[in-house]
Amino acid sequence: MPAFSPINSKMLQAPVGPGRELYSRRGAMLAYVGQVYFEPTVTAGAGIGGALGRAMAGEHVPMMRVTGQGTVMFGYGGLDVTVIDLQGDTLYVEADRLLVHDASLQSGTMFLGEQGGLAGVIRGQVTGQGLFTTTLTGHGSVAVLSHGGVIELPITPQRPVHVDPQAYVAHRGNVQNRLSTSLGLRDLIGRGSGEAFQLELSGQGTVYVQASEKKI
Amino acid sequence: MTTPTYNRVSLPSNDNVNPYVFCVDLNGQWFAQKGKMIAYYGQIRFESLSAGPLDALVAANFHSPLYARDWIVAQGQGKLLLADRGFDVNSYDLTDGNLTIRAGNLLAFEPGLDLKQSIIPGFLTLIGTGRFIAASNGPVHFVEPPVRVDPQALLGWADCPSPCHHYDHSYVRGVLGTAGSLLGIRGTSGEEHQFDFTGEGTVLMQSSEVVRDTETVLRDLEGQIGMLGAGGLQRLQHFIAQRLAVERD
Repeated sequence: MPAFSPINSKMLQAPVGPGRELYSRRGAMLAYVGQVYFEPTVTAGAGIGGALGRAMAGEHVPMMRVTGQGTVMFGYGGLDVTVIDLQGDTLYVEADRLLVHDASLQSGTMFLGEQGGLAGVIRGQVTGQGLFTTTLTGHGSVAVLSHGGVIELPITPQRPVHVDPQAYVAHRGNVQNRLSTSLGLRDLIGRGSGEAFQLELSGQGTVYVQASEKKI
Repeated sequence: MTTPTYNRVSLPSNDNVNPYVFCVDLNGQWFAQKGKMIAYYGQIRFESLSAGPLDALVAANFHSPLYARDWIVAQGQGKLLLADRGFDVNSYDLTDGNLTIRAGNLLAFEPGLDLKQSIIPGFLTLIGTGRFIAASNGPVHFVEPPVRVDPQALLGWADCPSPCHHYDHSYVRGVLGTAGSLLGIRGTSGEEHQFDFTGEGTVLMQSSEVVRDTETVLRDLEGQIGMLGAGGLQRLQHFIAQRLAVERD
């Protein structure tokens, strides 16, 4: 049974029942049928340590736990919704792009420095993203938000992908990220191409890119 | 991809030009919300509702003084193009029916329909037979009751006998929950309040939008202040002062 079924490009529908709980962004519920409860949560399934990590990381997008029996429709701010299914692998995604995910997924926070060293830290600062990224591992579905929908770009060892940091939405697989800069004299005097910072993703996996340079 | 070109004849008649633009084949009078006209062909005049010659029409079909400032009458002959904030635009036909819709999302309607204010603030009800044009953030999704809908995601409803408020805060119950909410640790889920629909009918939904038309809500509240006495007004003032103090923090 598919967990999340899209209604249109900006809304999706998800069943809730015993043993089938969800974590969602607060305020993202559009409608529901049945007896469904929405509880605020600070841990978002990541445990106390995860919650502390989230708090330190500035990944403080409030989440809520959805329980009960019924069907819930989700959407947020008229943004496009994309469903990503995980089969035991890990998705790296910015917390503010998360719309809803299965509670069966293990949620955590990852220090960007672990993946890309100092460059990862700089990347976080340059792109305005936190130094920490939310990780989701296991079997289940995730819905992410984007401006204008996302496209999927495969990453293979021979073909790294360069992404504008603002257009980056999420990635999965065994991927290293590196911030490549091509800063030159022209940038210093304000005559740059505007594309001085790029995110280079290499390894084996997939990156999700939105059709816009707008943050959430 | 080439940009399609239209002229007066090739423009669709009473149909969508694309998902975001609707073309009305005007021959007579239509009510339209201010600022939603993007272009027109032909001889069309736009008059405010207070224009003298429109008195009979307004008296017969427009029963909402609160929103009168936002509406105009387009009259004449030609093709009238309507659009709103890049939202999806659709037309709907009512046959001796009723439909209630978010005030900001109603673009235009035929004089066969009567416009009235809904009991739910910020919504307008159309009664009668005719066509109207409405905008939604993303395509419209139709659901059958029973359903509970987030106030911001609600676009409107048709034939539902009892839209009512539903409040859900069962998590406050119990010692831990109370302590948590008092200390502000747990906060609120932001989903304590929904509109509850039961009975026969159809509910129209859109992807949630940031409510930007606080203007209409404000005007609605101002309209209701007349019902309060001096005591009520004082209490309201006290409440507003409290809210302001919270907002400033």
